Amino acid sequence: MKVTINDVSMDFAPGTSVIDAVFAAGYDVPYFCSQEYMSPIGACRMCLARVGAPRKDREGNWILDEETGEPKIFYFPNMMATCTTQVMEGMVVDTLSDDVKRVQNGMVEFTLINHPLDCPVCDKGGACELQDRAYEYGTGESRFVFDKRHQEKHHPLSEVITLDRERCIHCKRCVRYFEEVPGDGVLDFIERGGHTYIGTLEDGLPSNFTGNITDICPVGALLDTTSRFRGRNWEYDHTRSTGMDDAGGSAIVIDARTGRIERIKGALNPEVNKTWIDDGTRFGHEYVDADDRLRSPLVRKDGELVPATWEEAAQVVRDRLGGLSGKDIGIALRADATLEEGVAAKALAEALGTGQLDHAPRPAASVVPQQAPATLTDLATADAIFVVGDVTEEVPIADLRIKDALKGVTPPEMMAHGVPIADLRLKEHPVFHRERLSVAAPYRVDLMKHAGRTASYPAGGEAALFAALQAIAEAQDAKAEDAEAAAVQLDDGQRAALGMSLADAEALVRGLREADNAVVVIGGFVLATRAAAAAAATFAKAVGAKQLILGPMANSYGLELLHVGPSHDRYAYPGMLEGARALILSNLDPAQDPDVRATLEQKDFLVVHDLFLTETAKIADVVLPARSVYERDGTTVNLEGRFLPLQAAPVDAGESEDFVGVVGALGDALGQRLEGRSVRSARRVLRKRFELDPAELGPSGELYRPKGRPAPRVSIRSDEAVGGNVLVTPSMLRVEYLERNPHLLALSGGSRLRVNPADAAQHGLGDGEAVSLRVGGVVRRARVRLDAGVPAGLMLLPTLPEQPVGLAHADLATLTRDERELEVAG
Amino acid sequence: MSDVADATTPITSRHDPRYEVVMYRHVGIDGAWTLDYYRGHGGYASARKALTTMTPAQVIDEVKASKLRGRGGAGFPTGVKWSFMPPVDGRQRLLVVNADESEPGSFKDRYIMEDDPHQLIEGIIIGCYAIQATKAFIYIRGEYGLGYRRLVQAVEEARAAGILGKNALGSDVEVDITVHRGAGAYICGEETALMNSLEGLRGNPRLKPPFPAQAGVYGLPTTINNVTTMTSVVHIIERGADWFASMGTEDSKGTKLYQISGTVVRPGVYELPMGATFRELIYDLAGGPKGEAKGFFPGGSSTPPFPWRDEFLDMPMDYGTLANSGSMLGTGGVIVIPKEKDIVDAMYNVVRFYAHESCGKCTPCREGISTWLPKMYQKLLAGLGTREDLDLMEDMVRNTRGTAFCPLADACAMPVQASFKWFRDEYEYLVDHGTPMYTKNDWWEA
Ligand SMILES: Cc1cc2nc3c(=O)[nH]c(=O)nc-3n(C[C@H](O)[C@H](O)[C@H](O)COP(=O)(O)O)c2cc1C
Ligand code: SF4
Ligand code: FES
Repeated sequence: MKVTINDVSMDFAPGTSVIDAVFAAGYDVPYFCSQEYMSPIGACRMCLARVGAPRKDREGNWILDEETGEPKIFYFPNMMATCTTQVMEGMVVDTLSDDVKRVQNGMVEFTLINHPLDCPVCDKGGACELQDRAYEYGTGESRFVFDKRHQEKHHPLSEVITLDRERCIHCKRCVRYFEEVPGDGVLDFIERGGHTYIGTLEDGLPSNFTGNITDICPVGALLDTTSRFRGRNWEYDHTRSTGMDDAGGSAIVIDARTGRIERIKGALNPEVNKTWIDDGTRFGHEYVDADDRLRSPLVRKDGELVPATWEEAAQVVRDRLGGLSGKDIGIALRADATLEEGVAAKALAEALGTGQLDHAPRPAASVVPQQAPATLTDLATADAIFVVGDVTEEVPIADLRIKDALKGVTPPEMMAHGVPIADLRLKEHPVFHRERLSVAAPYRVDLMKHAGRTASYPAGGEAALFAALQAIAEAQDAKAEDAEAAAVQLDDGQRAALGMSLADAEALVRGLREADNAVVVIGGFVLATRAAAAAAATFAKAVGAKQLILGPMANSYGLELLHVGPSHDRYAYPGMLEGARALILSNLDPAQDPDVRATLEQKDFLVVHDLFLTETAKIADVVLPARSVYERDGTTVNLEGRFLPLQAAPVDAGESEDFVGVVGALGDALGQRLEGRSVRSARRVLRKRFELDPAELGPSGELYRPKGRPAPRVSIRSDEAVGGNVLVTPSMLRVEYLERNPHLLALSGGSRLRVNPADAAQHGLGDGEAVSLRVGGVVRRARVRLDAGVPAGLMLLPTLPEQPVGLAHADLATLTRDERELEVAG
Repeated sequence: MSDVADATTPITSRHDPRYEVVMYRHVGIDGAWTLDYYRGHGGYASARKALTTMTPAQVIDEVKASKLRGRGGAGFPTGVKWSFMPPVDGRQRLLVVNADESEPGSFKDRYIMEDDPHQLIEGIIIGCYAIQATKAFIYIRGEYGLGYRRLVQAVEEARAAGILGKNALGSDVEVDITVHRGAGAYICGEETALMNSLEGLRGNPRLKPPFPAQAGVYGLPTTINNVTTMTSVVHIIERGADWFASMGTEDSKGTKLYQISGTVVRPGVYELPMGATFRELIYDLAGGPKGEAKGFFPGGSSTPPFPWRDEFLDMPMDYGTLANSGSMLGTGGVIVIPKEKDIVDAMYNVVRFYAHESCGKCTPCREGISTWLPKMYQKLLAGLGTREDLDLMEDMVRNTRGTAFCPLADACAMPVQASFKWFRDEYEYLVDHGTPMYTKNDWWEA
């Protein structure tokens, strides 16, 4: 549709909003309430413009202007909110005339009359939409001489978000965000007229995605409590990188000041996270600045770990490894290492001549599916989704993309100015088409509240669940070919395995196969056994659904793709802990299991590369200070197989190095120029291996889809977890760092041991009690939380890198009240 | 003092023998709210006629032919609105009756619901049949306690008698009614805010499009009409469109319930053909002003007031005439302003109402109408205003005109502008002298 904006004529698709037309034409209108990816509501009235359009007469001919002979433009009697007005053929938009200016001046004045104008002490100063717009479109003067509205200035909406009610300009972005994006309606306006303010119900903000409101608040009303009063916007270094707390690969911006990370914000990746991030990713960075962060290498001398230089440390490593045969040395990285670190580790393993190389945690089953995995966009546009697991905790951003699918609005086309500001297809109070979503898990997971169908199957029963569904799919096939074929027949065991009624299960299977775009989301419980993962893959194929596999850590996919794995099953991580005589462990802490610790103490030589003096580091011979995920340059691969860049923020991390740096230093000591001694050299390897250039990734990253065979599978350790009395569950919060993340600790109340009330009574456990317990050997501390949603006989505990998702055995004899009372702030 | 002095006597239609009372014929009669009474006076014959002798399309055509315009304020042609309903597609269709009547000066719906609720139910049955809805909601103003109880009682009676339900009036047409009580917000009379409120959401207006017929309450096809729009339909079906269209002016047909309040001898509700003049209403029916009047609101507090001049008093009360003269017919609630009521104080009263009722969604209304404007009036009335303040008020109010999300802001801004246009001398007197031109304030004792 042809539209003329001031002096520019352009064509737009029907349905485009006038505000987007104005921006696409290179003009500006001020706005506050519109927000990318959210419904336009026309509330702030800042975007008003004079708009006109030609009209047709009864015969359908344009009514012509008598003087010019052109179609006559009929202006609307009132100024129109451009965000809620659609373009029309021949429309004329004026954003520059004096009339428009007068109204804009007036609206800025109205917006400011109750605003405290405390910009000099406001964190948003310098990055404030109201400040900018008042400067550009206001008169610079206020004629309002009365007392302003006084309201609470430090209202804690939760432990991590503070609301200044005086600064609020009532754009309603935060309210709409909760309703429309995570679908957790936890905020609303209270009171009316000039008294209107933002508030919550009593239980704060129960959602995994609360921090995004601090990104979209146009003013300084909603602030990230972790960074409040810590810096002005122009003092921050903004580093765009990728969130490494899970396999989603959300784009983030790390804001650092004087060498310290102050806050993390969401960044735009339309293919992945749009602009949203989860609270773990946003608020989970404080550990990086913990007082006990290691800042220089340590070397054991006379039984004590003492500071040393990198050269000294590297010498010690060289000397001590020199006495061992290569195959006695094991190397393991945590699965959020970058690809470059993976290349470095492989080069080191090769130089040392060992096949004992692995990344951990690594589930029993592969996280790289045989067929190309679903993309997050596939997920967001799916018409049938079946989730097995707790996606909201495993890969939170996938939860939000599922909600996109439930809203049923396809991702918008990019415009010249980026994401449309006012996508008129999005509606306030959207309807979530829950019938599109089915969720199965052994306990009640959050996403179930949006699911049309839910199933609670017995923990550990994933293989049986998929086998039973497969049986249904086959029976339906038979029925389709031959109407006389028997109806679906399941035995009692199969029915129990479904965790839902047969009718529901049949509807689920039919829904998936009849859908145009079906996605099966496979969580960690399924990956815990190869049988379950294989059954899931078979089922997905049978119903024609794509698979999206939720790997346990940020780069699980990439490290498997790169084959940072052992040459033989018995050399896998658990095997090397047993068998190797010397170990180099990066960011792994296996000594949390006292039995493993005893084994490690017997090793000839132990090198630990970590941020803190962990249990394992304490018994190491050499400790190397590690860079956090925010301090690394590199590449990661998310669950879709998308290569995404990491950039190091300017953080003062002492002499920390990533594993690339470790290998560089060791190579120097060995007198070898190893591949992967630097990010550049590692990338040369990656370029060859994957035929894409990690240094040149586009803004959305790059989807890796190999032409030939699927990537080689890593050989897998054979002892699979089966059975147990504790279900280790996925967790958005990284428990290993929780105690060094004071705000998240206060928000979550610490690591939770969720127990069925009846079981708790039996064990004599009370709600809120701090306990310690050995689970699968690992000593875990947690706070008891009574939860009727937990199946009897099972306890739930969040995962650690050393304690993968799935069933585990806990020795209840080791259950004790924790003498060291967890410190819970707030 | 007149016969209205007793506050317990309901204000009912006091009519001129020249005009037949149709919609208000049962109002003011003790017990008229019972089903027995209503049926005993020919009740439900009109609905029966529609359901048994007409198709839904014929009902709509009849209403179209009557040229009935909605009585909720905007005067939108009712038959045309009904024909906007999408074709039947299996989805639930809804009729919502707007009984939120909260505008100062409007009180015509109240007495129908209190004294003649079955007339409304009958209108709803016809309306539902026409738009093929099986379910109707009556959204009644929260403060209307008696009306609410009478309506609920009447709906129950009608249900028990088989007038409502699966087989309304013994036909195969299903109609049921839920009476929903508002919670005290004028904005919930605005049809989209009403829908939000009905759904349990905050009473903020919604975007249009989609219009209610496309996606109304719960996204379902919905038609919203005022109480007396629905009761007009009862008589249109009973007596025919021609009868209705034979009354009124070219622009506006039929009869209408006009309300008059303020300092007149007989305030009340009067049923007159459309196009009767203000003079007729004020003098012939309401007995003229008590004492000297200086102006009047023609159609409720949201319509710009006129000065007391012949050109306005002789104006016919129809939608088009009023619209062309810079005001609106609105709900037809005339409010007479006595000479000795200071206009600044009077307008402050109006402004306070809108300030209190602003929903807070949009900036010009929340900050301009709800916050700034009442403070300016307070400043003037405290004797602290200046001439510059008057200019400021006019300029600021201009910035709220036509810029808000819904018409509520205009409903305040336009009368304020009119008061400046016609009575600026009183504002100027106040700022120049520090005291109002008039100080009389004991109207309720007169
Ligand atoms: C602020 C505001 C308040 C309103 N209040 C009422 C009301 O109380 N009753 C009513 O019938 N219409 C009210 N309306 C008009 C309705 O929005 C709507 O136009 C009307 O109910 C339609 O019915 P009709 O076509 O039968 O007139 C109000 C409109 C506005 C903008
Ligand atoms: S004009 Fe704006 S603030 Fe006022 S009632 Fe309408 S939407 Fe609400
Ligand atoms: S009204 Fe707020 S952006 Fe248009």
